[in-house]
Amino acid sequence: MESQGSGQEDDQARFRSVVLPHLADAYTLARWLTGNRTDAEDVVQEACLRAFRGIRGFAGVNARAWLLTIVRNAAFSWLGKNRPAALVMVDDLEAVEQRQAGGSAMEPDAGPEASLIAKVDAAQLEKAIAELPVPFRETLVLREVAGLDYREIAEATKVPIGTVMSRLARARQRLIAKIGMSEPGTNEP
Amino acid sequence: MTPPSDHDDPSLLVHAYLDGELDPAHALEVERRLAADPALAAERDRVEALRGAIRDRLPREAPSPDFMRRIEAIGGSAPASPHSVTHAASQPSWRALAASVLLAAFLGSGATWFVLHPGPAETTADLVLANHLRALMAPQPIDVASSDHHTVKPWFNGRIPEAPRVVDLASEGFPLVGGRIDVIGRVPVPTLVYRRRQHLISLTALPAQVAASLAAGPRTIAGYNTLSWTDNGLAYWAVSDVAAADLDAFEKAFREATP
Repeated sequence: MESQGSGQEDDQARFRSVVLPHLADAYTLARWLTGNRTDAEDVVQEACLRAFRGIRGFAGVNARAWLLTIVRNAAFSWLGKNRPAALVMVDDLEAVEQRQAGGSAMEPDAGPEASLIAKVDAAQLEKAIAELPVPFRETLVLREVAGLDYREIAEATKVPIGTVMSRLARARQRLIAKIGMSEPGTNEP
Repeated sequence: MTPPSDHDDPSLLVHAYLDGELDPAHALEVERRLAADPALAAERDRVEALRGAIRDRLPREAPSPDFMRRIEAIGGSAPASPHSVTHAASQPSWRALAASVLLAAFLGSGATWFVLHPGPAETTADLVLANHLRALMAPQPIDVASSDHHTVKPWFNGRIPEAPRVVDLASEGFPLVGGRIDVIGRVPVPTLVYRRRQHLISLTALPAQVAASLAAGPRTIAGYNTLSWTDNGLAYWAVSDVAAADLDAFEKAFREATP
C-alpha cells in the first residue's frame, strides 16, 4: 500500500483532477460576479488556493458544485471588500422576498413576444444580466451558464431550494421585462 | 423535486418545469395547466426563448492562458509516473490531436484545455474518468440520447467496428440515458450512459487488447468510483460518483441482463 508520506503530491494530483476540469466554469462565475476579467482572475486564484488547502475535505460527490461554492464565497469576500454596495442589496432583497412570499404570488402578466426575446443581441443580454442584483445574477449564472441543478445552487448559495426557484424565476422575469422595454416601439404603454 | 407549498404559483412552477426540477406528478400538472392557459403558455415561450438566447448568444469569455498556467502551478507540474512514460505524457500533441478530432463536438474551451493537459497517470481508470468528466462538462454527456436500447445500439453501428451490448436497466434502478464514443489509449470505444437517481454512470467497453496495454489504476480517484470486469473478450469499465455499492449493483444488473 502507498504510504501517506507523499501527501503534497497526492494533494496536487487531487487538485488537478478535482479542480482543473472546472476552471472555465469557475472563471465564468467569478467574471459575472465581479464584472471584469482582472478581478475575476484574482477571485478564482484565491478560490483555487482555498480549494487546494481544503482538497482533503472534498467529499467526492460533485467537484464542480464544490469548486463553484468556494469561488462564490471568495467572490463574496471580494465584493465585501471592493463593492460593499452590491452586498447591502442582498439583505434588502431578502426582506422584499420575504414580504412577497407572504403576499400574492407573481402573475404571469403580459410580456414581450417570445420571438422578440429570441432576437435579443448579445450585448443587450450581457448588460441586462450584469444589471441584475447579485443574488439573482448568481442564481441565474449558476443555473444557465454553469448548469447546476436547484439542489446544488441551494448548497452553493446557502438558501433553501424554494428560494433558488423563486430567485431564478425573478431573475428571468427581470431579464424578459428589460429586453422587452429596451426594444423601441414594442413596449406596451 | 416537490416544490414547497408556498411556492406553488403556476408561473414559478413553469420555471422549475423547464429546468427539469419537478417530479413527474407536478410536471404533468404543469403540462395540463400550460395546455389550458394561454397566458401561462406565453410565459413558458418567453422563458424558453430567454434560455435559448443565453445558451446560444451570450459570449463565453475564456480565462487567459497566462492565468490558466498560474492556476495549474498550484497543482504542481505533473510528476513522471511509471504509467505515463509510454503514453500520452510523452506525446501530448498526438494525443491532443486525436482527442480533438474525435471529440470535437464536445469541446468547449475549458474541455479543450483539459484534453491538452492529461493527468500524470495514464491508467485505464484515469482515462475512463477523464472521459466521464469531459462528458459531464459538455452540454450533453451523450452523443445519442435515448432510453431505448433499440435506438442506442444501431447508432454505434458504422461509428465503431463493433456495437456494444446495450441493455436497459430501468427496472433495476439504472435507466439508460444514451451513448457516446470515447477515446481510450487512442482507440475509439463505445460508452453507455446510465442514470442512478441524479448521478450518471459511464460504462465503457474496451477491446481486451486495449485494456491489456494499460495499467488498471485505482478504484477510487478524487471521489469517483471505478469498477471493471471482463466479459466475452471485452473489458467493461464503469465510472461514476455514485457509492461503490451502487456500482457493484450496477455491474450485477448489467451482467445478468439479457438484451
